[in-house]
Amino acid sequence: MSHPLEPRLARYIASQMPEASDVDVTALERISGGASRETYRFRLTYREGGRAHERKLILRRDPPASLIDTERRVEFAAYRAFHGSAVPVPRMLWLEEADEALDHPFFIAEELSGFQAAPQMLFAGGYDAVLPRVAERKWTILGEIARADPQALGLTSVMQAPALDACWRRELDHWEQIFDTDEAEPQPIARAAIRWLRANPPPPSQKLSVVHGDYRTGNFLYDEQGEIHAVLDWEMAHLGDPLEDLAWGFNPIWQFGRGLEGGLAPREEAIAIWQRASGLTADPVALHWWTLFNCVKGQGIWVGSARAFIDGGNKEPIMVYPAWWLLNAQDRAILKVMGRL
Amino acid sequence: MTPSVPSVLSELAGLLMRNAAPGVPDAERASALGLSSMLLAVAAEVWDGAAQNLVQENRALATLLRDTAAEADLRLSALRNENARLRARLIEDHILAEEAGDTERQEAIWAELRASTVRRMLSISPV
Repeated sequence: MSHPLEPRLARYIASQMPEASDVDVTALERISGGASRETYRFRLTYREGGRAHERKLILRRDPPASLIDTERRVEFAAYRAFHGSAVPVPRMLWLEEADEALDHPFFIAEELSGFQAAPQMLFAGGYDAVLPRVAERKWTILGEIARADPQALGLTSVMQAPALDACWRRELDHWEQIFDTDEAEPQPIARAAIRWLRANPPPPSQKLSVVHGDYRTGNFLYDEQGEIHAVLDWEMAHLGDPLEDLAWGFNPIWQFGRGLEGGLAPREEAIAIWQRASGLTADPVALHWWTLFNCVKGQGIWVGSARAFIDGGNKEPIMVYPAWWLLNAQDRAILKVMGRL
Repeated sequence: MTPSVPSVLSELAGLLMRNAAPGVPDAERASALGLSSMLLAVAAEVWDGAAQNLVQENRALATLLRDTAAEADLRLSALRNENARLRARLIEDHILAEEAGDTERQEAIWAELRASTVRRMLSISPV
């Protein structure tokens, strides 16, 4: 039985490929993950230049309500900016921001098949020998993101560029606002952390960097040799302090119960790899501020997922699971980072 | 638990019914059922102790805040509403203690906040 989106998607792609004929979409199926976008894989076939072609592609479509409300234009631009660089990303093909074609905005990218993303598989035992290689690649690539020049990448035209001493305030204001609008019950631990963050601001950022915004184990594709083939999920990408990205991975919930950052390496080792690749330094005081901030940001995301379910905008189980699984764990992570657990 | 367990179970009932029908793509059915099973497991874990934990926490908060915990209605929804009222008061009290430099009061609040995360902790908690 074919998926009802297939003929509509085929019509859209045909309109983007005027030289092609017999454009057809088959085998469209939704794949797991993607709480902020609906993610599907499909097969595109067409004729062009007298030959038949076949491509495996990915469709990322906005849901009615999302775990994270973001601009897909920004996400698309971030992918495009890094394609072909030392930061591996899938190739983006088309961005559609109107609702007519598929009811919600979406973009289409090439599928990178044959790789894994799930942390559960990475830590199940079969990859133990290559975990040091994954760690080396993970923080080296993050260092490359930090080192990149946002202006040279063309990203200052689609992302706001805050002053170096305003990066922290812009992010904290944004995420505190999420609590103000989305929390379904009082959050005394997160609110106390926000007060501490405001009272103890970090030093100005050492440079303005691209910040991926969700760079953690689980958001990249890896293989059996420990190589990383693509960094995914750029929906929270913005410009800011590069330490924000390094510290997001130090949120204790991303240790996956292994006692290692990202489940992969001791913090000192991760920092050393990142410093080598980025040419930047990780000031411990600033890094602590950003780690606590990221615990608050994480809680903001889980609070937002609960709100999307409660308001009826998105009733899928993926919106409930982070809230049930992580709201209290994130509170404990905040206590831990504040030295109160 | 937020969203509330009854609201989630109600939604899962509809989801399971939809996935029992023919024609649902295999990958979508597998994803829906896999996540549903994890949510049901969490609901099962918290079910028996939910009222006990809320009553215990509301009493602890009321004592700390010199308030009176309302316990006339022992439905989980009523206990949750009372818990939200007391935790909102706790935030105000915490701010006052910080502004006054009352470290003893702050430590008492932090101790209760720490205890609250133990009451709410799941067996699958990553922290």
